[in-house]
Amino acid sequence: MSDSPAPAENKIMIASANPLFRKGLEKMVLGRYGKSTIVRATTTTSETLELMESWQPDLVIVDYDDKSISRAEFLHQFVAGDLPMKVMLVSLQASGAVVVYDRRTLTPAQAQDWLSTPQLAPQTEALISRRSFSMKHFVFAGVLVLVLTFLVDLLLSTTRLLPVQASLQAQPIDRLFDLEIIAISFLFSLIVVFIVYSLIVFRRKPGQEEDGAYFKSNNPLEIIWTIIPLSAVIGLSYFGAITLGQTRQADPAPLEIKVVAGQWFWRFEYPEYGIVSDKMYMPVDQQAKLTLTSMDVIHSFWVPEFRVKQDLLPGENLVRELRITPTLIGEYKVRCAEMCGTSHAYMESPVIVVSQTDFDTWVQGELAAIGTDPAARGERWASTNGCRSCHSVDGTTSVGPTWRGLFGKTVELMDGSFVVVDDDYLYTAIVSPNTQVAKDSIPNVMPQTYKDSLSDDQIADIIAFIKTLQ
Amino acid sequence: MKKFLSIGFVTGIIGQIIGTAVGIGLLAGIRALMGLAPKAEPAAVLGAALGIVGFMIGVGGFRDWFTWAKGEDTFEAEEFHDQPGIIRYWGYSLDHKVIGVQYGILSLLLMALGGTFALIFRAELAQTGMQFISLDFFNTLIGMHGMVLIISILLGISAMSNYLVPLLIGAKDMAFPRLNAFGFWLAVPASIVIVAAIFTGGFDTGWTGYPPLSARAPLGMQMFFVAVFFAGWSSIIGALNLIVTILRMRAQGMNMFRMPIFAWAVLATSLIALTATQLIGTSFQMVSFQRLFGMGFFDPAKGGNPLLFQHLFWFYSHPAVYVFILPGLGIISELLPVFVRKPLFGYKWVAMSSLGIALVGFMVWAHHMFTSGMEEYLRVPFMYSTLLVAVPTGIKFFSWTATIWQGRMRFATPMLFTLGAIIVFLLGGLTGPPLGTVATDLHLHDTYFVVGHFHDTLFGGYMFPLFAAIYFWYPKITGRRMNETLGKIHFYLMTPSFLVMTFGQMAVGLLGMRRRIADYDPAQGFQPTNFIVTIAAFLVALSILIFFINLFVSAKKGEVAKGNIWESRSPEWSILPSPAPEHNYAQPFNVVGDPYDYGLKGSKFVEIAPLQAVDQKARGTHG
Repeated sequence: MSDSPAPAENKIMIASANPLFRKGLEKMVLGRYGKSTIVRATTTTSETLELMESWQPDLVIVDYDDKSISRAEFLHQFVAGDLPMKVMLVSLQASGAVVVYDRRTLTPAQAQDWLSTPQLAPQTEALISRRSFSMKHFVFAGVLVLVLTFLVDLLLSTTRLLPVQASLQAQPIDRLFDLEIIAISFLFSLIVVFIVYSLIVFRRKPGQEEDGAYFKSNNPLEIIWTIIPLSAVIGLSYFGAITLGQTRQADPAPLEIKVVAGQWFWRFEYPEYGIVSDKMYMPVDQQAKLTLTSMDVIHSFWVPEFRVKQDLLPGENLVRELRITPTLIGEYKVRCAEMCGTSHAYMESPVIVVSQTDFDTWVQGELAAIGTDPAARGERWASTNGCRSCHSVDGTTSVGPTWRGLFGKTVELMDGSFVVVDDDYLYTAIVSPNTQVAKDSIPNVMPQTYKDSLSDDQIADIIAFIKTLQ
Repeated sequence: MKKFLSIGFVTGIIGQIIGTAVGIGLLAGIRALMGLAPKAEPAAVLGAALGIVGFMIGVGGFRDWFTWAKGEDTFEAEEFHDQPGIIRYWGYSLDHKVIGVQYGILSLLLMALGGTFALIFRAELAQTGMQFISLDFFNTLIGMHGMVLIISILLGISAMSNYLVPLLIGAKDMAFPRLNAFGFWLAVPASIVIVAAIFTGGFDTGWTGYPPLSARAPLGMQMFFVAVFFAGWSSIIGALNLIVTILRMRAQGMNMFRMPIFAWAVLATSLIALTATQLIGTSFQMVSFQRLFGMGFFDPAKGGNPLLFQHLFWFYSHPAVYVFILPGLGIISELLPVFVRKPLFGYKWVAMSSLGIALVGFMVWAHHMFTSGMEEYLRVPFMYSTLLVAVPTGIKFFSWTATIWQGRMRFATPMLFTLGAIIVFLLGGLTGPPLGTVATDLHLHDTYFVVGHFHDTLFGGYMFPLFAAIYFWYPKITGRRMNETLGKIHFYLMTPSFLVMTFGQMAVGLLGMRRRIADYDPAQGFQPTNFIVTIAAFLVALSILIFFINLFVSAKKGEVAKGNIWESRSPEWSILPSPAPEHNYAQPFNVVGDPYDYGLKGSKFVEIAPLQAVDQKARGTHG
């Protein structure tokens, strides 16, 4: 780009009879603009004017307090030239006050002002004190950053932020949380301390009208604060990947549990034992391999105490897997973590972690309970298939009609006709819910998948159960 | 009455009513001819879409283009003059400043509406159990809160960019004034349609509208789809216009690295909006077609895949987050130097970091899907790319800190909101890594921690900067300053309340409170925190109410603003009177220095160009 702004000054001339001034500034200039800058120094008026003419520096730094360099002669030559040049007047008297003029924008009033201010004797200590002033603030703020980091981390690590840790998979995850909390505490303190410190120490006091310190960029600094976060990010990702790997470690002989979700229930099948349950029983310290699938919309399996989470997708080809090794005996709840419609908030089922002996006892009890009474079996199928999340058995109104007193009742349908609830009606209502929708129900709410997921025997059992609810 | 009927907004509404009726009638008519019973859903969708077209015809959006199609000429946009007074904000104006204010009004209206939705469901969440509203209405409200505010944010960004960009770069108007007006007015009927979603059964999917749930949600879902589709158009059109304006219409001497930093932010934002918005429109359209025509894009029973939707959806919706925040971050960088009286530290780095965020933002979408069941090997690469966003964002933070360091800070209301923005956005940024790191996200995904996190990023990256911008540029619009005391009350009430709100949200989220639940298990012990969060949310709302009062009252009674009230170097303050005149700068200006050289005595950013340069400089503005 042809009209890009002038590059940072790289030919800099320092004019002062005072050797401390020259050396101090030369060091500062090299420190700020980098080694590519050429600095040359002059000590008298004639030397200064000569070098200005022959070398054409981008910037001339003039000791404002030095009487041995004539302001009038300098100014005369400065405004006469037409190449771009800036002059910086540095006064150590006025505790390091700095004025910068551009050759092209210098006004007559400014020139007058420049000539008329009385020149004073040099005082080099002011330069040094100004740098140490800046350094002092920097060190002070740095110490505050460390103190605040410690305090924030202390606060966060002593507060109970996470639920009880109840699985093997939760352990590396919680360690990663601790690491992240340290990083967060530090970065928070770093930014907040420097801003708040500035607000308090450097804010404009009443009566102050001048602008802030003039500095506008520092590429080495920018590169440092690009590279440090970059390496922090790569480090965190690395630990994140390691931790993810740890949560997915697979045991060769896990307990298999098939988890089926639907609006709005959970069903747990234990293929090894032929058990279907609406509560998830897990033996402690044994890895469970959950295979997850959904009957309708997307749900998400999450027991907060176990930390890990996995969505359940509809579709036979989209079965997903999750490994959990419970480590703490107790009663938890699986809570659906993906918005799944009306009763999403209530889509929770007990997850019970027990000892191996208690688990075996539970298995025996479940197997014995399947029994011979059709109505008792029907009650089981009704609860394990989610019927009860929409149909109450005690007469209260829920999403679907209550089952109490349903059998034998006359129901008005959406098309205005009437029908008596009998075996045939109930069978149709289960396998094809949209065929005969009752007037006060909403079509399309009940899943239309029961004709596949329930056998005719199971449906007959459920109807037998409904008949008992009079 | 006749005068009333000549107002663009009124004719637009009439057009929308007619269009909707035609759409519904057309479908009902066709079905009746075929001897079929009327069907609500297709009729409603066609009605909504034609209603929007009807509005655009009614408001006059097509008039000039139709005239050109007939081979006739219209006036040049530069010859356009508005009716004087408040009435101009109700019609089809071509002035970018009027359009900017129109965007702003619509945005603030939707903000109030979306905020009210939140207050209703926050009241419900103050206690366990359902007290005030039904489960379905709760579910509708959360989705509406999300999408209404997203549209409000997009409009708010357009408000800031439309009003400010031409002023800041010294242009007379936007590159395509007619397209500009068209883009704004498209958002009006779209907003009406999205509000209609509540009255057509609502929807229970949240703003993300994931199928299969959205494929079986009530009719309100379709209204939501139609509204987002057209609001997306509005966004694309606006982005295109801004890019051309920024690239082609800068003042003499304003090379890219002498542009005000806000223009860089808008450029980065517009690049995202121009190239990604199509994806959300497409993904919603596909669900809509799945419902209407049985095309099983996302239906596993028909060979579709619900995960495909999530990829398409987040491919826009993640970069969209940067659309929401980049202009706000630009406002922070723009206002800081004025109030600390120092140059913006590392201008080029700050400018480039906006482009960096925009670029990286395109490669991180799948971090919303770490638990979704997508291919497992995708999770680690997306974790790396996600955390990479921290690098350009970090550059911004460090540069702001260095800008503030040793600054002579002045605490006017815009500055307070700028500082609030930095701190709140910092909290949003710092709560990002636990979400971006897969292992910890397995716990945090879809919890209230996410809710706290993104409210921090959006308040820090949009709301606070928006308020800062309004307090700062309000005198340029009205000629009067907003009340400083009310502004400070607004700030000191909103900031602590807001922080308490999001800290509370994050705390319950970490402990296991899921997102989007109408009720929570009392056994988890979230009730006290939720109660506090609700109180805090109402206090935030109260502070914004104070802001609205200030906004109205100051327009008539505010202190008259004369001259460069902020001592800014920017041309709209140093050259233009307040309120800004029609067609902006009567005489072009030259850029002779860097924009933020505060503290460099005698330096200038702009100076009025000598008269003879006017002819070369003048560039036509064609719609």
